[in-house]
Amino acid sequence: MTLSPSRLMADSPVKVNFPGQADSAPSVEDQKRMEQSYNQMKRKMSIAQMGKAIKHKIMVLSGKGGVGKSTVATGLALSLAQEGLKVGLLDIDITGPNVPKMMGLDGHRLDVMDGRIHPAKGHLGVKVISMAFLLEDEDTPVIWRGPIKLGAIQQFIGDVEWGNLDYLIIDFPPGTSDEPLTVAQSLPDISGMVIVTTPQDVALLDSRKSLTFAKSLKVDVLGVIENMSGYTIHGKSMPNEDIELFGPGGKTINATADDSGLWSATLDIFKAGGGKKISDDFNVPFLGALPFDPGFVRGGDDGVHRIVSEPEGASALAFADVVSAIKDQVEKSSSSPGLEII
Amino acid sequence: MPQLTRLERRDTDMVLDWDDGTNHTIPYDDIRHACPCASCSPQRNEDETSMMLRHTIENLPREKPTVRTIGNYALSFEWVQGCSSGIYRFERLWKLGEKQDPDGGKTYVHGAW
Ligand SMILES: Nc1ncnc2c1ncn2[C@@H]1O[C@H](COP(=O)(O)OP(=O)(O)OP(=O)(O)O)[C@@H](O)[C@H]1O
Ligand SMILES: [Mg+2]
Repeated sequence: MTLSPSRLMADSPVKVNFPGQADSAPSVEDQKRMEQSYNQMKRKMSIAQMGKAIKHKIMVLSGKGGVGKSTVATGLALSLAQEGLKVGLLDIDITGPNVPKMMGLDGHRLDVMDGRIHPAKGHLGVKVISMAFLLEDEDTPVIWRGPIKLGAIQQFIGDVEWGNLDYLIIDFPPGTSDEPLTVAQSLPDISGMVIVTTPQDVALLDSRKSLTFAKSLKVDVLGVIENMSGYTIHGKSMPNEDIELFGPGGKTINATADDSGLWSATLDIFKAGGGKKISDDFNVPFLGALPFDPGFVRGGDDGVHRIVSEPEGASALAFADVVSAIKDQVEKSSSSPGLEII
Repeated sequence: MPQLTRLERRDTDMVLDWDDGTNHTIPYDDIRHACPCASCSPQRNEDETSMMLRHTIENLPREKPTVRTIGNYALSFEWVQGCSSGIYRFERLWKLGEKQDPDGGKTYVHGAW
């Protein structure tokens, strides 16, 4: 079934009969209004319910577009699923939702049954809901006006049958738009947000903006992830030979081959250490760096994320490290601050 | 800022104990009036609407709220009647206890992030 936003709105889960209709039948508008507020109340209740069924909810944000937010969000979900946890992935980017592609769910449509939305099952059993499931055609992004878009987000939050989850990862469009605010205000107990950045100065500048934004959202910042950090190349030469490479920016990189002549060196495509610096500046944790890996681009294209195709590869290992740093932060922030309430 | 160690709910106010030895007593009406949610906040921007908000709150039936911790940084207060949406950062509670303007004199502008 293909759904347009208006169709989704009209597909309200409950039909209500109001008492006393016989003598003083409410006008059509009144009835509509009552029905709407009834639905809103139902949604509020199901959101509260969801707050309990989903243990940890993590928002993935970036200041700038194209830094790899969706790749990272998908990677985090897969990496957590690899550990045997129950994971959901919510893709709220309406203008360029690319999560379905990476999850092998290209062309999937929204599954609505009895007024509830059922997530799709992606790689490793990750439950996925994407704004793309609403689009008639992925290549023509819809321009929804603000209220419709935000209404759809609220519906996405309230009407999805996630079941019990250990983690829900939420991917956003880039920048400091309305979407994170809507989610932060509608979803109770958000564990926190992670900020994805690349090491370039511009991206870092934008990350500063998003950290300031994070503060205004009143959601904890779990930390900063540096994506596309370094690119590691491997080579073969004479055993124990010293290798000299001319890296980006005229920097010389040295490596030494091992006994069998194998060597590797990491090139910093962009400036190194930017993520660490910004997390120091803002006094938030640094969650780790993810390497530049052309396999991510391929994976995005052929529908198999790097973590699935190479679960033991360097990128998957880097993701596992970031995930363990996130878990530490989540545990820290959910441990009660030793407050006695009487 | 000191850490909140104990919160005692009384009939019309609550007592907050902080780990530096400070104690605050905050009336529930003050807590409610300082609700940081997007619907209550703008009402405090103008004296007139702020007073109306205050008036509405004072006319609500007396009740003890359910208090929940939000992460390690805030509390929420759930009331049977009236607004329960606000997430109160500990800083906010401290300011209220110290009788400082919890909004820091800033007006609330929706969407100005
Ligand atoms: N670590 C990486 N190494 C190499 N390529 C990467 C890496 N991370 C992401 N990419 C590639 O960069 C491009 C942008 O990534 P992605 O779509 O995840 O970014 P985004 O921040 O979600 O973008 P948008 O702002 O449009 O939502 C994609 O082609 C992706 O494959
Ligand atoms: Mg994206």
